[in-house]
Amino acid sequence: MEKLSLEQKWELIDKIVKKTISYGTYRHTIKDALGELTVRPLTGIPIAIAVLYGFWSFFTSFSAFITDGFMVKIFDGYWLPWLQKNFPGGLGNWFYSLMVDVGHKENGILVNSDSCLESFGVLTSGLFVPIGIVLPAILIFYLMMTILEDSGYLPRLAVLLDNIMHKIGLHGYAIVPTILGFGCNVPAVHATRILETKKQRILMMTLVAIFIPCGAQLSVMQNVVPEYTGAIILYLLFGYFTFGYILNKIIPGRSPEMLIDIPELMIPSARNVLKKLWIRVSSFLISAIPLVMLGSLLVGIFYLSGVIDFLSRIFEPVFVTWFGVPKETSAPLVAAFLRKDLAVAQLKGLADAGVIENVYQMISSVVLVSMYFPCLATFIMILKEGGRDFVKAILALFAAVFLYGGLLHLIWIIMGVG
Amino acid sequence: MKYKIYFFSLGTVSSFFGLMSVLAVLHGKDFIVGIIGFPSDIFRGGWGGVILLFSGLFYIHGIKKLEDIHHRAELFIGSAMIWIVGGSEILRIFLESIPGEEGWFNSFENFLSHYFPPYHPSILLLPFSLVILLMERYYGEKHSEKDSRRYKRREG
Repeated sequence: MEKLSLEQKWELIDKIVKKTISYGTYRHTIKDALGELTVRPLTGIPIAIAVLYGFWSFFTSFSAFITDGFMVKIFDGYWLPWLQKNFPGGLGNWFYSLMVDVGHKENGILVNSDSCLESFGVLTSGLFVPIGIVLPAILIFYLMMTILEDSGYLPRLAVLLDNIMHKIGLHGYAIVPTILGFGCNVPAVHATRILETKKQRILMMTLVAIFIPCGAQLSVMQNVVPEYTGAIILYLLFGYFTFGYILNKIIPGRSPEMLIDIPELMIPSARNVLKKLWIRVSSFLISAIPLVMLGSLLVGIFYLSGVIDFLSRIFEPVFVTWFGVPKETSAPLVAAFLRKDLAVAQLKGLADAGVIENVYQMISSVVLVSMYFPCLATFIMILKEGGRDFVKAILALFAAVFLYGGLLHLIWIIMGVG
Repeated sequence: MKYKIYFFSLGTVSSFFGLMSVLAVLHGKDFIVGIIGFPSDIFRGGWGGVILLFSGLFYIHGIKKLEDIHHRAELFIGSAMIWIVGGSEILRIFLESIPGEEGWFNSFENFLSHYFPPYHPSILLLPFSLVILLMERYYGEKHSEKDSRRYKRREG
């Protein structure tokens, strides 16, 4: 093949350009002007406040509709009574307790549980939590997240929050793992890969694991302590920024600037949204349901064999003295390593029984469940993603939990309620 | 001029509703005025109220120069904020009206009862905010050429 001279190459380029590129007047549309408003702090922050309101409102309305409207009726009205009637063994039998219902005592007599949330069996709570509570929440969360992503709003939010995020050693794109964390901490830890340096990744993993409650916790919180959910989230977000600032000063390393191309605002394609939604939800189902059922089984085994009681007695002084929660909460707090959502439900049971005496102890207990240790799946993910920095991330995590949990107790003491 | 007066009025009402909602939260008690209810909960009253307040401010600032596409975009954002809060409210009412207390679905009477007043202020503002679409059609056609030239000059 004949080689082209430099002049011939330029002629060829000119021909291609003439055939493929057309020139005209650029028309600045209302869409462009709207896009500009979303990244300017003065107008962008109120817009972000409104968008997040819509996000949260849609999330709570839809998940409550599915869970309270239908799932509770299916699981508590049909599935639990059917298992209680037909599963071999019956109350008090260890296998029945593990798989169906541990029961509870009324006037010293062991009686059946009324709801799947209280029965703590692999086939009851173990199925109700992931399918009845978490799945609707995750479905709607990922739908909203995908719409924000595909509409071009998420990169704008990243640009808008870039300055604030730099104060905690991160940059605007850290908003992606943060928002993902509200769905599930596992993909959030995975998404820390978009951050460039080791320092940023340790910081992000620690902050997500401690201060961002996942969709499972949020939906259970909404279900059992709806009146305190807002206050708990605010306290956790305050911790996210405070500890981010402190960890940024302590952890050595670089925090580089962000360089992104902002796409134009557009209406997302339904096909793309559904495709992404399916990928995310199916991967959640594959990874979460077996882990949640395994968690239920392990919690049941540990309860029946006395392991949780033993660990509770060891950690009781720390929980009671340092964090200011009743000693009875140490068992759910220990069990929370395997099942955070179930631990919140157990706390609700303790509150109903009068063990957790006031609002402040309830908030402290739920905050502790949320932040004190990542769930098993997130723990494995941090181990995988953190590599050699895993130990640093876990140490940072312990320090933050100890200080922040104690700080909450101190606030209650100063207020005279602790 | 008529659009300026219209959106100034809408902005003032929206800001007032926003302020009233925030006051209801601070007071800790729902306000009901005719068919409008100002909820005292932190989410619908507080957060929603702040958004209505911002929406009003966007309207009031945006009317300064309607020929400018950037100012019209501010009006558009003001309306979009009302659509978000109002849309969320309508969706909430609709989803709450379907499931029954004991059976799978609500009885017809119970279903309808969810749609009776009082309404969140954003629902009342919703139809009035839609005028932005008419206005944008009018100004979009009238000023599209001008917007392109102005933008070119800015770029240059």
